[in-house]
Order: sequence, then C-alpha cells, then structure tokens
Amino acid sequence: MTQTMEKTVLVSVQNLHKHYGDLAAVRGLSFDIFQGEVFGLLGPNGAGKTTTIEIIEGLRQADSGSVRVCGLDPSQESMSLKERIGAQLQSTVLPDKMRVDEALRLFAGFYRRSASVEMLLEQFGLAEKRHTYFEKLSGGQKQRLALALALVNEPELVLLDEPTVGLDPQLRRDIYALIERFRGEGRTVLLTTHYIEEAERLCDRVAIMDRGHLVALGTPRELIARSGQGTRLELRLAKPVGLERLKVIDGVIDCHEAAGAYFLRAQPPAVTIAALVRFLESDDNALLDLHIARPSLEDVFVEMTGRRMEH
Amino acid sequence: MAAVRIALLTIRLVMRTKVALFFTFIFPLVFLFAYAGLIAHGNPEVVAYMFGPVVTLNIMGSGFFGLGIQSVMQRERGSLRRYRLAPLGPRTMLLSNLLANYLLQLPTLGLLLFCAVVIFHMPMRIGWATLLVLITVGTFSFAGFGLTIASVANTMQEAQVYNNIVWFALLFLSGVTFPLPMLPRSIQRLAMFFPSTYLVSSFQSITAQAEPLRKHWPEMLVLVISGFFGLLFAMKLFRWEKEERISTRAKLWSGVFVLPFLVMGVWMNTRANPTATWSRSYNAMEQDSSAGPGSKAAKLNLIEDFEGIQTSEELLRRWRVSADADAVDHSVAEIHLLTPGAEGTRHAMRLQGRLAPGPKNSQGYVSARCEVQVPANSKSLRGIEFEIRGDSRVYQVAFQPPNVTQLRSSTPAAPVTAAVGPSALPWPLPAISFVPSEAWQNVRVPIAWLANPRDRGLAAGPWILQISVTGPSGEFALDLDEIRFY
Repeated sequence: MTQTMEKTVLVSVQNLHKHYGDLAAVRGLSFDIFQGEVFGLLGPNGAGKTTTIEIIEGLRQADSGSVRVCGLDPSQESMSLKERIGAQLQSTVLPDKMRVDEALRLFAGFYRRSASVEMLLEQFGLAEKRHTYFEKLSGGQKQRLALALALVNEPELVLLDEPTVGLDPQLRRDIYALIERFRGEGRTVLLTTHYIEEAERLCDRVAIMDRGHLVALGTPRELIARSGQGTRLELRLAKPVGLERLKVIDGVIDCHEAAGAYFLRAQPPAVTIAALVRFLESDDNALLDLHIARPSLEDVFVEMTGRRMEH
Repeated sequence: MAAVRIALLTIRLVMRTKVALFFTFIFPLVFLFAYAGLIAHGNPEVVAYMFGPVVTLNIMGSGFFGLGIQSVMQRERGSLRRYRLAPLGPRTMLLSNLLANYLLQLPTLGLLLFCAVVIFHMPMRIGWATLLVLITVGTFSFAGFGLTIASVANTMQEAQVYNNIVWFALLFLSGVTFPLPMLPRSIQRLAMFFPSTYLVSSFQSITAQAEPLRKHWPEMLVLVISGFFGLLFAMKLFRWEKEERISTRAKLWSGVFVLPFLVMGVWMNTRANPTATWSRSYNAMEQDSSAGPGSKAAKLNLIEDFEGIQTSEELLRRWRVSADADAVDHSVAEIHLLTPGAEGTRHAMRLQGRLAPGPKNSQGYVSARCEVQVPANSKSLRGIEFEIRGDSRVYQVAFQPPNVTQLRSSTPAAPVTAAVGPSALPWPLPAISFVPSEAWQNVRVPIAWLANPRDRGLAAGPWILQISVTGPSGEFALDLDEIRFY
C-alpha cells in the first residue's frame, strides 16, 4: 500500500489490459482506490467493469498491466488476498438446500479471521431466515446473503459487482443503506454499477468506463462540474420570446423551444438565472414557471462517449 | 479442514434432497434385489457371487454420476464461483467431493451387505477389513474416473456422452452384468482392460472362493494408481467457471489416466490369465448352489439329493416309513426312487400311499423319517431347505433333536441344558405345515426354530427329519428332493 497525499492507496490499477479472444474487454485502465472510500466503476453493459473487478479479486488474469490490492498481487498472492477482501458476485449461487446460517458458518470457517455469524444475520436482516433454504429466499434476501458472505471475514476491502441489479426500488434502497453503513464503518468499497443514481448517491469517486476505456475519473461533483453540459433550465413565460434573444443571455449555451416551454442549457446557472430575470424585467415579461435540473453523470457519460447509457 | 467442512455439509444436503436420497440409498437396493432375487433366485451362493457386481455397480454409479456429473453440475450452475472467492484451492474442493462421495458410500454398502446377509442369507466369507479395502480402493478408482471425465468435459451434455460410453462399456463388458466366464473369449480379453473387471473379479474370488485379498494386489494397485491419476488430472484441469474451456490437447493428455489399465490389461492378457480364477469363482458358485455329487459344498451342505441311491431298497435303508398301525383299516405308505428328480436332477424320493380313517373317528397318518447330521457349530448355517411337489393335502415337516446329554450353547458361560429325547426339551419344537403343488417348490426351515430360545444353542448330533401327512382318508403322493442346509 502506498501513501498519496496522506491517503493510503488500497487498490492500484495501472495500464490494465484484458482480451477475450479478439474482444478487448479492458484497454489501458488505470486508477487508484483510497482506503475508506466508496469507489464506483460506472459504465454500460460490456464496459469491462466485471472483468476489472474480477482481476482485482484474483479470479481472472490480466493480459498486461499491474494490479496491487492491499499491497498484494492478486495473480500471485491470491490466497493471502482472499483473506483480506470480501466480494459479492453479480449473482451468487449456493446449493438449493443450504440454509442461510449454514452458508455463513461454512464460509466463516474458511478464513483465519471471521465475523460473528449471529451479528451478520442481524445486520443483514436475515435472522428470521436463518433456517431457510437458499432456494426459498427471495431475490433481495439472496442479495443480502451475498453481501453478508462478503463480510464474513471482516475484509479490508469490499468488492461489489452490480449489487442492486434486478432488484426492485425498495430492495435497492435497502442495499444502498447497507453500502452507506459500510462507508460509515470506514470500509473501503469498490462497486460496479450501471445505475447513474447509484453511483452519484453512494460513491465518493467514480470511474466512468466505456468499451474497456476509462473515460472519466473523479468525484461525482467534479465530473459534473467538469462537464460542459451545463444546468438545464425549463421555463414558461407570460409572453413569447424569440430564441435568438434568449441565446444571448449570459451563460446560455444552448436553447430550444418545445410545447410552449423554453429549454436552456446554462453554465454557470446562477449567472444565467440573474441575467434572465433582468432580461424579463426589461422586456416586460414574466416568469410563469421555472425548473432547474443539474447535469447528471448520465450527461457526463453522454458528453464523453456521445452515447446514452443502456440500462 | 475446509474440505471436511464442505464434505460434511454436502452429505447433509444430500440427506435433504429426496432424489439424491433415492439414488444414494434406495436405487442400489433395487439392483441388489434384482440381482439376488431375479438372477440368483435367492440362492445364497449365487447371491455371494452377485454381491461383487452389485457393489461394483454402486461404486461405479457414485463415481460417474454422483461425483463426475455432480462436479460438472456445480460448475455449470455457478455454485463453485462463491467458493472461489474464499481462500480455497481446487485441491480442497476435490478432496471434499471425494470425501463426501466416500462417506456416502459406506452406509449404502453397509445396507447392501445387511440385506444380502439377512434377507438372502449370503455366506459372509469376506472379512470386514477386506471389504473396507475393496470398497475404499474401488471408490477411489472410480472417483478418479468420474473426476477425469468431469475435467475433460466442457459441458454437461459432453459429460453425459462420455459417461454413457464408459458406463455402458464397463456395465456389459466387465462382469458387472454378465458373469465373466460367460462372456466370449474376445470380450474376456477386452474386459481385462477395465477397472470394473478388477473389482468384480476380486470381490467374486473372495466371496465365492474365500481367497485372500493379497492374491489380488496387482488389481488393487492398478485401481489405486488410476485413482491418483484421476485426482491429479482433476486438480490440473480443475475449472471454477463454466465459461472456461479445456483444449483438445489437454483432453488428450487426460488419456494418460487409462495407462494403468492398459498395462494391466496387457499383463493379464499375456501373463496372468485371470480367466482360470474367474472360472473357479463361477464354478464354486455353481457347485455350491447346485451341490453336485462330490463337490465341497455337496459334502458340507447336502443332506440328501437321492443322486447316489440306485434302488428303492437302498432308499429304504436310509428312510423309515411308519403309519397308524392301530387303525382298523390302517393307512399304508411306501417310498420309492423317482426318476427324474427336481429340476433336472436324476432322482427324487416319492412318498406314496393311502390314508385310512384313524381309530375312534380320528384321522390316519403316515410319516417318513431320516437321520440328519446338523452341523451345529457351523456359523453359516441358516436352516434346512428342500424341494417338494405333490397333491394338495396338508403335510408337515418336523425335526426331533438328538438324544444327547448336552446342547451346544452359543455362550460358553451359559448353563448347559440336558435333554434326553424330545419330551425332555424345555421348549417346543415347531412343525411346519405346507401344501405342495404340482410344480416343484422350495420349502425352508430356519435353523433358529430348532434352537434353544434361551441361549440360541443348537443340539449337536443326528436330528430326525420327519415328514408326515394326515387328513381325510384317500390316496396321497409327495415327492421330495434336494434336502440341504443353507
């Protein structure tokens, strides 16, 4: 582990490459994950997120590049590394007739250090389901069990691969709460997701990936601020105004009209709003309605790749 | 330790799955009952000969389908991935599978043995240690076979194809289904390359001829080596993910697994000539079950098959006929030699006559008696059986104990009971009634019925076997043959 600006680097990925036959899954990926942060790998399906996380877990071999996790090389020191990380797979399959508490006890027994099974059952809301067979669990319960299994060895680093995929909104919120709890406990978390709101809500920093490339890296706020997309303003006015006049207002990047409303992209938005109010006063016009929408990571992704994220 | 944990949990999971329970415990019994009931007709000696194939079949099934297919299924289903995230290697996973497979085998095979001995009265010529060695070595070898197939198969369908090819070859060409001596010479030569042949023939020579296990060390060695080869390949080619594919080159390398069998097959074909041993086991079973004159079994188990008797006069010297002499018009009976006897034997005995009304409105009776030397010290003695046919009257078979002063006691410390004649016996001896039919049928008298119920002791010395008939006046005829201990 290396110290950077007083932060400890727990995961270091440098110039990572991975091919499956002719398909380049990961192309020259580099990033660091600091201790105690929730780091997100965001990208559409096929971006190379799972391949990257599996290389970090030691489940796959990289073609080239360097990966250090907790100061260990996953390809060479896999057993030592597995003692220190906890991982949740995109889909966890256990034998149908395995009971929840049996699974936790079994996996806890594989590690030198293990968490209390009772505590995990309570923590993940599985205490009432302790004797339930895996096959009888709902999708959300299976996912919670998978997360509990990821923590069974009290890991330094938790790797979550699409932890909320396929879950309904309520279950998704439950999982968010669990991940926020991980952050509160000071755990380092790497999660992959293709849900923008998940990355924005949960991650301290996000690496946006597309077709194996890293297209952007930073905190969600930084990425949005860095984006040239600008804030979206939707306004309805008492009197119609020509688009040419709106376009010249300070900070307006773009403007169009649809269904009686005017849609402006503005950067910085505060300057535009102040200028807009002055313009309307001078024009003897009135603002009937105003909606302000900040740009999202989706906008950042669109700007970087020219495509929308496919959910 | 992790391997043991996984193995124990795997066993628990099997216990919770009805289908797995059926195939683990019930299905092998179906084979035992099919072999012992339909093929051996319950004959203990034939059951002893068939026991090896039944056990081998079970061991093969657990190797190919229990372990092999199970391994592929785990991989295809993706349940290995979760284990992969834990600090476990292929060795732990394979050892856990092997251990679970072995531990599940033991109660199954115990159940088979229990049924073979208790239900089919199989003579227990195989020691516990020998049995354990055979089962362990066989399970290990076929586990290696199953794991090798699981390692080289990329998909479940592929594994099924490989499994079926090998399974059916071993099933029909190695003595598991058909006795080895019955196979054509060319198939026998081929069978010498198959591991199931080694296990079946070793079992049979031990259970049928009471040969020591050490005589079969080459077979055992080859089975153990092949098991190690299989385990080695499985470790080398172990795959956690179904997406991982194995190259054709690696598949070809796994062919090394069959190398010990090739060496053994060549050695057997050129030097060892195991067919003589196979035939000896088969003949021992045949002789023991048919008890032909002069055979070892005939001397041990046969009481009377009438084959050595040339005339009815000779027969009368061994058998005594009596009737109700005090009746006014007393019953009459005679015995004579009948040709042919039961099921292709040369002679049988016929007891024939006429029952008269007995005195004071009672019914007449006729009996035929002969002396029987009961080997009271024999551990394998289970009872006396014979073949009969006749009219539809009620006949009775009874045993009278010897006029001896001592009864053998099963426990040396138990008090010895004195008995002089039937009346002195402190327990009643049962008489078994039966109604014969026109076809020959087998009647069995368990020896336990003759024993002292207090200490299960059995009187040593000549017992009297008596067959009698009573009932309404009229003609009667009863044929008797193949009287033997079982």
